[in-house]
Amino acid sequence: MTLLNVENLKVTYATDDETVHAVNDVSFSIDEGVNYGLAGESGSGKSTVAEALLGLLPGNGTVERGTIEFNGTDLTSLSEAERRDVLWEDIAYIPQSAMDSLDPVMSTGDQIAQAIHTHRNVTDAKARDRVRELFEIVGLDPDRIDNYPHEFSGGMRQRVTIAMALALEPDLIIADEPTTGLDVIVQDKIIDKILEIQERMDSSLLLITHEIGVIAETCDDLSILYGGKVMEQGSVDNVLVNPTNPYTMGLKNSFPEIDENEDPVAIPGSPPNLNREPTACVFEDRCPFATDECGESHPDLVDLPNRNHRSACHRVKEAAQLRRDADEPETWNIPDDGDADSDRGEVILETDALEKHYEQSQPLLSKLRGEDPDYVKAVDGVSLSVRRSEVLGVAGESGCGKSTLGETMALLEDPTGGDFMFDGEPYEYYRDGNLQEFRRKVQIIFQDPFDSLNPRQTVRKLVGEPLTIHDYRTDEKERAIVETLEKVGLTPAEKFLDQYPHELSGGQRQRVAVAKALVLDPDFLICDEPASMLDVSLKVNLLNLLRGLADAEDIGIVYISHDLASLMQVSDRLAIMYLGRVIEEGDVDRIASQPRHPYTSSLLSAAPEKDPTADRTRVLLEGEPPDPVDLPSGCAFAPRCPKAQGSCWEAEPAIDEIGDETHRAACYFPKGEEGLNASDASAVDETKFPESANTDSVGD
Amino acid sequence: MSKFQRFLLKRLAISVLLTLVAVSVIFVVLRLLPGSPFEALVTSGNLNQEQIDEIRAMYGLDQSIWKQYINYLGSLLTFQFGYSILRSQPVWEVLEPRLINSLILLVPALVTTAILSSVLGMYAGWNRGSRLEKASIVSTTLLRSTPVFITAIFFIIVFAYNLEIVPALGMRSIRATPDGYLETFVSLDFLHHYLLPFTVAVLYYSGDFLLLARNGVVEKRGSEFLKLHRAKGLTEMEQLARAGRNSMLPILTYFTLRLGMIFQGLILLEVVFSWPGIGRELVLAIQQQDYPLVQAAVFIMALAVIIANLAADVLYAYFDPTVSTNGGGSA
Amino acid sequence: MSTETKPEAELYKRADALWTTVRDQFAFLRQDPMAFAGMLVVAAFVFLGLFGPYLALHDPIEHTVRGDGGSVLRLTAPSADALFGTTAYGKDVLSQFLAGARPTLIVGLFGGLGTGALGFTVGVVSGYYGGWVDELLMRLTDLTFSLPFMPMALLLLTFMTPNIWLITAIIATFLWKMPARVVRSEVLSVRERTFVRSARASGASNLRTMLYHVAPNVLPIGFLYTAYGVAWAIAAQASLAFLGFGDPTMTSWGRMLRQVFASGNMRVAWWWVLPPAIGIAAITTSVFLIGRAYEEVINPEIQTDQ
Repeated sequence: MTLLNVENLKVTYATDDETVHAVNDVSFSIDEGVNYGLAGESGSGKSTVAEALLGLLPGNGTVERGTIEFNGTDLTSLSEAERRDVLWEDIAYIPQSAMDSLDPVMSTGDQIAQAIHTHRNVTDAKARDRVRELFEIVGLDPDRIDNYPHEFSGGMRQRVTIAMALALEPDLIIADEPTTGLDVIVQDKIIDKILEIQERMDSSLLLITHEIGVIAETCDDLSILYGGKVMEQGSVDNVLVNPTNPYTMGLKNSFPEIDENEDPVAIPGSPPNLNREPTACVFEDRCPFATDECGESHPDLVDLPNRNHRSACHRVKEAAQLRRDADEPETWNIPDDGDADSDRGEVILETDALEKHYEQSQPLLSKLRGEDPDYVKAVDGVSLSVRRSEVLGVAGESGCGKSTLGETMALLEDPTGGDFMFDGEPYEYYRDGNLQEFRRKVQIIFQDPFDSLNPRQTVRKLVGEPLTIHDYRTDEKERAIVETLEKVGLTPAEKFLDQYPHELSGGQRQRVAVAKALVLDPDFLICDEPASMLDVSLKVNLLNLLRGLADAEDIGIVYISHDLASLMQVSDRLAIMYLGRVIEEGDVDRIASQPRHPYTSSLLSAAPEKDPTADRTRVLLEGEPPDPVDLPSGCAFAPRCPKAQGSCWEAEPAIDEIGDETHRAACYFPKGEEGLNASDASAVDETKFPESANTDSVGD
Repeated sequence: MSKFQRFLLKRLAISVLLTLVAVSVIFVVLRLLPGSPFEALVTSGNLNQEQIDEIRAMYGLDQSIWKQYINYLGSLLTFQFGYSILRSQPVWEVLEPRLINSLILLVPALVTTAILSSVLGMYAGWNRGSRLEKASIVSTTLLRSTPVFITAIFFIIVFAYNLEIVPALGMRSIRATPDGYLETFVSLDFLHHYLLPFTVAVLYYSGDFLLLARNGVVEKRGSEFLKLHRAKGLTEMEQLARAGRNSMLPILTYFTLRLGMIFQGLILLEVVFSWPGIGRELVLAIQQQDYPLVQAAVFIMALAVIIANLAADVLYAYFDPTVSTNGGGSA
Repeated sequence: MSTETKPEAELYKRADALWTTVRDQFAFLRQDPMAFAGMLVVAAFVFLGLFGPYLALHDPIEHTVRGDGGSVLRLTAPSADALFGTTAYGKDVLSQFLAGARPTLIVGLFGGLGTGALGFTVGVVSGYYGGWVDELLMRLTDLTFSLPFMPMALLLLTFMTPNIWLITAIIATFLWKMPARVVRSEVLSVRERTFVRSARASGASNLRTMLYHVAPNVLPIGFLYTAYGVAWAIAAQASLAFLGFGDPTMTSWGRMLRQVFASGNMRVAWWWVLPPAIGIAAITTSVFLIGRAYEEVINPEIQTDQ
C-alpha cells in the first residue's frame, strides 16, 4: 500500500532579488515498509523536499503547488495544529547534522521524553523508562540519559537522534544525510543500526543522501534529483545497474571506489542556476549527449517497459549506447592521460619517528611538585618518506592525528621529537633562519574551500600574494598568476582575476586555493582533505588535477583524507594512521587487495559500494578510538581489535613488524594472504561479541 | 582539585589583583598627580603653618608616600574610610544609608527591566519583521541612547510638572521624619517619590536586555536543534521557550555586569531626581572637595564592578553545560 | 600589451571600486527607513556643528536680548524677538542652540573615532597575538571597566581645567574597552579561519597576516563600534556638562541643560529645555539606529533567513 505519495511538488525560495526554483514538479511515492532513497548533489533540492514534507521550510520557502499525500491525507492542506499532530507521531525525522541538532542546554533524555510527552499522555516515570529502552535499542548506555549533548561524540549524538525518531514508532522516518560528517566506520555502524531497527519496527524510510553507495546498500527504490527535477527513478537494482539518464551515468562514474581499476570520470561544469523556472533540460549544458531538442524543453519522466524504472531524458531510447559512451572520459571532454605510471624521483621529504605532543595544562600545585604533565600524543613516532612525483596518501578517522601530521610536516607546528628532513636539510636548518625558504618550497592546501580564501581579496590578490611575500617572479607577476590559474583549469584566467571568492563556486574556490599553492612552483604539496566538502563530480576533478600535477610537475604530494576511495584513486602509496601512529604503509594496490592490519581491513570493509548487486561483508568495530592522553601500553588498537592477544597488550608493535619495503604493518597477528573473508569475520563474532549481531551481509 | 575550582581560583586571584591596581590608580590620581586634590587641600585657603601641619597630620600627609600608600590600602580594604570633611562624620556613616537608598531604587529596577525586557525581546525576535519588533527596537533604542538625565527631565516635565501625578524631587517629602529603614521605605509617601525614578531606570536599561534577548532568539530561530524541536511537533510557544532558554546565558551574564556598574551608571539619575543615593553624594563630594568621601565612594563603585565581573564569569562557567572551564591552556 | 592599463584608467577603476564598497556598506540605509531617517538627522547635525555658530544671530553668551523698552527680556516664551525664547539671564536660546552643536560634534566625532581606533587596535593586536600580550591587554580593559567612568572623569576634571580636547581624551581613554573586547572576540574566531592559517603557511609575516587578512575581516565590527562610540561620547560629554564639568568657554547643549536645571526654571521654561534636550536625544538615537541597522547586515548569526 502506498504510504506517501508526492505529486508535482514545487517549492520556491524568495530571496532579496530573485526567486529560487529549488524543487520543480517532483513526484514519487513510497510504499509501506519500503526504504526509499533520494539522491543528488548539493543544490539538487533533496533536502528541500524533506523540509517540505515535514513542513519545516524556512520562512522564505513556499510550496507553490503539488500535493503530499500521507496515508490518504494531503499534508499541505493541514492546519498548523493538525500537522503538529502528524509530526513525530507518524513521521519522524533524523536530521542532517547531529552535531548541532540537539538542544545544547537540555539533557538528551529530556529531549526524547519531550517528544513523547508532546504526543502521548504518559507519566514522567514511564517516559523515562521508554527513553532508557530507546537508548538500549540504539546502542547507548541507558545510564547516560541525563547527559548533555556535548558529552557525546558525533556518532553517539546521531544515535540519540535516531532514538528520538523511534520514540513513538512512526510509520515513516525521514533521514536527511544522517551520516554526513561521520567517519566511515561510524557511518557504517549508524547505517547498520538504522536498518536493523527499521526492520524491527516495520516502518518506511526516506533516506536523503549524496552518497549513492549508501543508497545502493540500504534502499529498495530511489529517485535521482538534479536541479530540482527528478532525473531518474525506480528500483535501485534497475537505476544504479543500468542507468538510462546521462546524469545518473555521470554521477555513478564519478564515484571513486576502492577496488575499482577504472579511474572515475568527472562531470565537467557546475550545477544549474535555479533563478528561473527551467525551460530546457536542467542537465543540458553539462550533458555530452545534448541535442537541440534538449534545449527546448525539460523531458518528462517516462516509464521504461517491463520494469520499475522511469527516466527523464529525450534520448532515453538510446540509453544502452549512451551508457557505453559515458564510461569513456573523452565523451565528457576530459583528456585521458592514461595510467602512465610516472617515474618516481628521489626522496624529497622524510620523517623518522616524528612526534608532536601537546602538553596538557595542569594545576599549579602539581607543577610545583614537579609532576610530569600529561601529553596528548597527536603524532607519535611517524616515519614516512615521499619521493618527487609521488603521491602519498594518509588515511585515518577524525582524531587520529593526520591533520596534525600534515601541519607538522608543513612546519606550521614545531615537531617535539624525531627527525625531519626536507630536500636534504634537517628541521634545525629551516628552524634556524631558513623558514622562508621552506615556506616557498612547501605548500599546504586546507580542507574547507569556503573558508580557505580571504573573502576580501580578489583572485588576483589571492594568487599574487605569495609572489609578493617571497619576491618571486615579481617582475612578471600578472603572467605568473595567469599561467597558474590556467594550469589548475580556471580558463580563461582573465575572467577570474577580479572576482571575489564569494562569486566563485566551491570547486572553483578550491582550484584558486591550489593555484595559490602552485604559483611559487613548490617542490612539495601537502593536501589536508582538500575535497571533503566538495560534491562528488568536483571532487573527482580535483583528484585528477592533483594526480596530473604530481606526474607533470615533478613534485611530491601528501594527500590526507578520511575517504579511502579517493585516496586509492590519487595515491601511489598509502599510510594508515591510528591514534598518532602509522599502523600500515605500502603500495596502494597491495593495501587494497591484501590489508595486513585488522584496523585497515575494518576501514576498507566499511566503505559502501555503489553497485547494489555487490555483496559486502560488514565488520563492525566495537567502541570508538580512546582518549589519546591515557593510552594503554602495547598496541593502541588492542582494545578494539578482534584478534588481540596477550602479547598485543604488552609491547607496541613497530611499523616494520611484518612485511617489506613496499608493504609493512605494525601488527603481531597480521591477516594472512587469503585476505578478508566471511568465515573469518563470523568466527570473530562468535568469540568476542556473542550476543549482538555485529556482522551481517549487505546487499541481496 | 576540579577544573571548576581551578578556574574559580584563577578568577579570584585576578580579581584581587585588579582591586589592588584599581585602588592604586585612585591613590595616584588623588595624591600624586601635580595639583591633585589632597595637595590642594593644604595649599588652598589661608592657613597658617600650624593648621597646615594639623591637617597634614590628620590625613597622614606628613608621612612618606609609601607609608601613606600602605596606610591607605589598609584602611580601604578594612572599610575604615576616615572622616568626611564636609559632614564631619565618619565616612561610612555618611555612605551607608546612601548606599542603601541607591540599592533600593536601582536593584528592583534592574531586576524588573531584565525580566520584562527579555521576555518582550524574545517575543519580538520570534516575530522578526513584525510591527511589534520594529516598534520595540526603535523605542528602546531611543530610551537607551538618550542620556538618562534627559529622559529624566522629560519625565519630570510631563508627569511631575504638567500632570502633577508624582513629586519631582527627593525620596521623601520634606516634612517626613522617618526613623530607621523600615519607616523610610515602607510608606505611601516613599512609593510616591519612588515611582518616577524607578520608571526611568527601568526604561533606560530596557534596550540592552531587549536587544540581547531578541538577537539571541533570532540567532536560535534558524538553528538545527530548533528545527528538530519543530519536527517533534512542539507548539510555537514551546519552541520559543526553548529558543529563549538557549539565549538565557548572555542575558544572565549581562545582568550581573550591569548590576556591578549600577552605581556609576545612574549617577545622573540620582542627581536629577535629587535622590539621596551614593552617586549624588559622590558628585556633591567632588564639587565640595570632600576627598575622603570621594575616595571611599569610588572604591565601593570599583569593588562592585570587580565582584560583578567575577560573578559573571563564574555564573557563565557554572551554567553553561558546554563551556570548558580549564581557563586557557593547551590544545 | 593588454595587461598594461593607463594610470588614469586604473585610478578611475580604483575610485569606482572604492565607491562600490562604500555604496554596498551603506546599502542597508535604503532598506531601513529608521536608519535612513537617522542618516538625515546626522547630516543635519553635522551641518549645525560646522555652520551653526555662523548662523546664530547673536553671540550666545555675550549678547543680552532686550525688549522694546530696552529692558532685559528674561525667561520670555518664544516671540518675534527671540524665536526660541530667552534664558533666565536674558540670552537668546536659539543662538545658544545653534552654537552649542559644535562642541557636541567635536567631542562626538573625535571621541568616537578615538574610541574606535584605540579599541580596534587593541582588539586586533590582543586577539591576534594571544598569549601574554592578550593577557596584559585584557587585564588592562578589565581595569578600565572597574574604574568607574563618571567619577573618575569628574575627579580628573576638578584639578585639570576642562577643555573640549581634554574631555575628548578622557572619554576615549575610558570607552575604548568596549570595541576592544568585541573586536578581540571577533579576531579570535577569524584567526582560526583557514585563510589565516593558509597565509601563515605561505610565509606571510605576522604583521602582514594581521593587516591584510585579519584586520579587513573585522573592520565592519570596528566601524559599528566607532559609530556607537560617537553616540557614547556625545552622551558622556552632555552628562559631564550637565554636572558642570564642561568646557566653560563654550556653549554646549549639555551646559544649557545644566543652566536651566540649576537655575530652577525647568518647571516654566520649556522652550529653554526642549531644544538642547531634543537635540541630544535625536543625535544619539540616530547614531544608534544607524548602527543597529548596520549590525543586522554584518552579523552573520542573525542572517538566518537568507
